[in-house]
Amino acid sequence: MTAQMIRPPASVDVHTGPLLLSGIDRGPGLAAHRARLGALPEPGVESLVTLLGEVGVRGRGGAGFPLARKLQTVVRARGSRPGLGSRRPYVVVNAAEGEPASAKDSALLDVAPHLVLDGAVVTARALGAREIHVVSSEDRPWVGAAVHRAIGERDDHGIRWVQHEAASRFVSGQSRALIELMAGRPGLPVTSWAPEAVDGHRRRPTLLSNAESYAHLAAVVLWGVDGYAAHGTPGEPGTSLLTLTTPPAADGVFRGVHVVEVEHGDGADTVLDAAALASPLLVGGFHGSWVHPQDVAGLRWSNAVLGEVGARLGAGSLLSLSDGSCPVSETARYTSYLAGESAGRCGPCRNGLPALAAEMRALARSADTRRRLRELAGLVTGRGACAHPDGTARLVGSLLTTLDDHVEAHLDHACGCSPRDPRGERAGGSSTQRLAVQR
Amino acid sequence: MSPRETVLKVDWPQCRARGLCAELFPEKIRVDEWGYPVVLGPVPAEEERLAREAVAACPRSALHLRTT
Repeated sequence: MTAQMIRPPASVDVHTGPLLLSGIDRGPGLAAHRARLGALPEPGVESLVTLLGEVGVRGRGGAGFPLARKLQTVVRARGSRPGLGSRRPYVVVNAAEGEPASAKDSALLDVAPHLVLDGAVVTARALGAREIHVVSSEDRPWVGAAVHRAIGERDDHGIRWVQHEAASRFVSGQSRALIELMAGRPGLPVTSWAPEAVDGHRRRPTLLSNAESYAHLAAVVLWGVDGYAAHGTPGEPGTSLLTLTTPPAADGVFRGVHVVEVEHGDGADTVLDAAALASPLLVGGFHGSWVHPQDVAGLRWSNAVLGEVGARLGAGSLLSLSDGSCPVSETARYTSYLAGESAGRCGPCRNGLPALAAEMRALARSADTRRRLRELAGLVTGRGACAHPDGTARLVGSLLTTLDDHVEAHLDHACGCSPRDPRGERAGGSSTQRLAVQR
Repeated sequence: MSPRETVLKVDWPQCRARGLCAELFPEKIRVDEWGYPVVLGPVPAEEERLAREAVAACPRSALHLRTT
């Protein structure tokens, strides 16, 4: 078994954007934030649900669940008198970002923390929650520090802030793993019989969402529906944060990482350079899907368009093979990493992911293991407490389906790529090309 | 809305592949190559008694019958 280390970037270039990232040149402080956007409105829960519904804000942690519906579920579960009894809800900001190919939540909390915290406060006030928990990751300690500094500047009457640090592993950011961590147990996924919105922290209704989701919620409240919907398309108003990367270096660390904000409907060429527009693109991170080079240039940052090529924006991570890396070797490498990141609690994942990784490494060595890979991918899907086996199977499945021509050529030793050895070193000299941002 | 279905759910972190469920209810439970249960679709009304026996027999209490 090849242990494959992959780690998040130590530094990220964040670029000014149209909405969430529009004020970053004024620094992360509260005074500048309020001077620019004014006092924080406190809509009641019905108007908040209406606002979010009108612009269709979806969660940005990967699953893309409509935020308005999540809020409504918490409201139903808490009952009509949240101040009484034991059903007072909790609000949880998920900035654990276990996906090493993603850096948008950590970047956002670094450059615009008050937008995220405003979103959490608006949510807490609307729901009658008194505690807001913010979970960051121990492998990105500056995020917890940035949140701590920002909280220190604020005076949110009646709100108690609680910070947590999740262990640095891929599955730590999974929502049930957060609830476990907050309960003082190991922060690993367990079986959930009801959504957190119904049965969350201390078994109470809990609005648990991704950090960027709260920033969009705040943006809708602060800019208004018209101001928010001035960006994006009528079908998908607003913006998304994207993390742009190329494969991690031999030491497993991502470098040359950019975080940008795009309007929904923007073309691929707004953020990808010529080399990236003609290279395989992994959309949605290590649990995501490959897009074929011939489809990349025509992409738009919209789930409707991405859906046509079998991809979803997910948490917005884009990994381009513009450096000439081989998609078969890279998928083998990421699958090995993901197998090592299994919490090892669920049998099909504990057994199936190492098997899947071994067959992927064999495929990278040009053995035709495609039938067995499809069998294993089917065997692990839907059979775990969290989405880790499903996401890993999706990555492998999309390589075999979307990049089938490249796999075929790879098996014939004719793909022309420069494969890496198992340690990630590339044979035959390395390219220095980087994914450049053209904004 | 689809009609309500009775389904078997595995609590995966609890399951240790003891295999009693598949012995007691082979109509709807097989085991995979590692011994873990593979559930073959929802439980029809006439098989609910068998399903309940399999649920009760699990030494890890890892098998659950849920109505969706």
